[in-house]
Amino acid sequence: MSPEHDSDRADLGHPDPEFDPHALNQEDFLNEVHSFEFWFQAVEGYLRDRPYGHAEGEQSSPVGVADLGQSEKDSLITTLCNYCVGETAALEGASGMIAIAPNRHSKIFLATQVADEARHLEVFLHRLRDLGIANPEAEIERRANPTLLVFKRRLLELVRSGDWSAALLAQNVILESMEHSAFMVHAATADPVTAEILDGVMKDERRHLGFGENDLGRLLADHPGNRARLAGIRGELDGLVLAVFSRAADDLATDRSMRADMGREYLETMDRLGLV
Amino acid sequence: MNNQASTDPITQAVTTEEPRRTFELEDRGFREVPKKWRKFYRHWEGEDDWLGPNEIICPVCKVVIRSKRELRVGDRLYCMPCMSRMVVVEAQDGSLATEVIY
Amino acid sequence: MADFLNSYSIQRWLELCPQGYLEDTVYGHEEGESEAEVLLADDDLRTDAIRSTVQLVVGERAALAASSGLVNAAPDYPSKHFLATQTLDEARHVEIFTQRLFDLGVKKADLESTIDHFANPHLVKFAEVLLEKVDSGDFIAGVVGQNIVLEGLAFSVFEMMETSNRVSNPKFAHTLAGTIADERRHVGFGENRIGSLIKEHPEKKSEIEQMQKDMAYHMLKTFSLSFDEGRDNVDKARDVMGDVGSADFHGTDLSTATSEEMQTVLEQTVIGEFKTRLARIGLEYQAPVGV
Repeated sequence: MSPEHDSDRADLGHPDPEFDPHALNQEDFLNEVHSFEFWFQAVEGYLRDRPYGHAEGEQSSPVGVADLGQSEKDSLITTLCNYCVGETAALEGASGMIAIAPNRHSKIFLATQVADEARHLEVFLHRLRDLGIANPEAEIERRANPTLLVFKRRLLELVRSGDWSAALLAQNVILESMEHSAFMVHAATADPVTAEILDGVMKDERRHLGFGENDLGRLLADHPGNRARLAGIRGELDGLVLAVFSRAADDLATDRSMRADMGREYLETMDRLGLV
Repeated sequence: MNNQASTDPITQAVTTEEPRRTFELEDRGFREVPKKWRKFYRHWEGEDDWLGPNEIICPVCKVVIRSKRELRVGDRLYCMPCMSRMVVVEAQDGSLATEVIY
Repeated sequence: MADFLNSYSIQRWLELCPQGYLEDTVYGHEEGESEAEVLLADDDLRTDAIRSTVQLVVGERAALAASSGLVNAAPDYPSKHFLATQTLDEARHVEIFTQRLFDLGVKKADLESTIDHFANPHLVKFAEVLLEKVDSGDFIAGVVGQNIVLEGLAFSVFEMMETSNRVSNPKFAHTLAGTIADERRHVGFGENRIGSLIKEHPEKKSEIEQMQKDMAYHMLKTFSLSFDEGRDNVDKARDVMGDVGSADFHGTDLSTATSEEMQTVLEQTVIGEFKTRLARIGLEYQAPVGV
């Protein structure tokens, strides 16, 4: 072994005027974006000074809540309870996937995702307390959408079965896509604190969605024989996804055009992956 | 970091007669990637926003990807926020679009 | 649920780590720091450093698998939140120690074969005992194995390595200092969370004590083999590094101690810590036989 002083070592912090990310080769690019260091410096950019997902000054007062009517507040609580169900599924799914991930970079990326999902769960639980819910866990159990619970059970079955590509599809493509779409539509009409929390969560979701689509895309490109099987799993989960979207849209009193937006990203992703 | 052009065929843009314009990128407040990468991305700001000749929207996560050079068909780009790799293509209406490369 | 668990939140972790002691670090050390030149220049010492770093990677990979596996088994949200932060801590440790292998000259393409070549077989067995409990979804045994036994071991080993590298290799010492800060939280969680669960499930005691005994056996065999392998280079390292001053580790000066003395002080420290921590959660340390 001879010393190989790392010419391709990441230097994430200091701008070099000549640097151009688009000139990286693919291996360097993937090494970079799947690393703890990348995550570390990325979240620092948008989570600093935002305890529990929103600006410090807003921390102790439930800004915007006073303006909500009783039924709007009740809908928001139901929606947040179901976000907690989704985030718990994502937390348990992502942590379970570390054991079956096929390489070190995927394991490290998933570890960052585990922390992201736990943070999301924590900020939504915190927001529920802001809204006067003394025992969020009991409230979540009472208000959980049964279809979402079925989806969670199915996701964890896929993870436990050790089927990496199916788990990746269910967790990082389908579940993340459902969450991202729901958060995006909700953020457009939410009270300022909830909107700010959702904005931070969506920034994390971009990484999770992108990891899922790109890793699955590479896998399908290398093993096209998997496509039919994964399309079958997608077909099996589609009914659950549609039912979850529909219920979430009802809870958020979403208008017709926004309902269409909710499903669009999910369909576009499936189209790009050829899982139709 | 290997900044040299690779032998990957999709890094080679189709050559045209016109020389490419180059751009000095400034930080547009995008905070979702490490500092070194931030000026290469920005958020789409809605209906009143417009794309420069060196900018394109990521089809996966919808952030605006920026380049130091005017974009042309065949250019390869990376979206760091969602970890996607893509190539610039010509859309049916003649405008530039992107296709994700897995 | 004890209120203390609320302090194990993601929010607190963000304030402590990325915005705290890890701020302005790159792969766990200050930017611009590099491995000691004399270490890189000597093939024996470099190989020795690679061998010992491989054990850190093996241990941290086990910790990553265990902490992520325990998220699902955790019975409450605060425990899940804490284990999520621990999962990320362990992934960071895997990454920074892997990076050290690259800094020591291991080529990326040779990473896995280098790890396979140098991994201490007893350390691999040690990890297997733990992961068997995690895979079966046994939260109490899993946390004792991970957060008391494995983390207790890591804590003392990192402390010893940090002490001996403080002057001769500040880059590696700084990397270790950050991991020690992480391990403090992990052992703290192990004790605080599991103490009450052991009280609620006294029937689990004998099974957990057997696991601890098996893990301690493989740990001591790991030490024995590791110090044997490094023995020949102890004097050479001192010659090459020159006078680095005294380096006290629990009453032993690591700058002058023999390999046997270093092994003894490490074993005594780790086992002493095990006894204290296990007693606090209502378990009795079980000494392995045959080592």
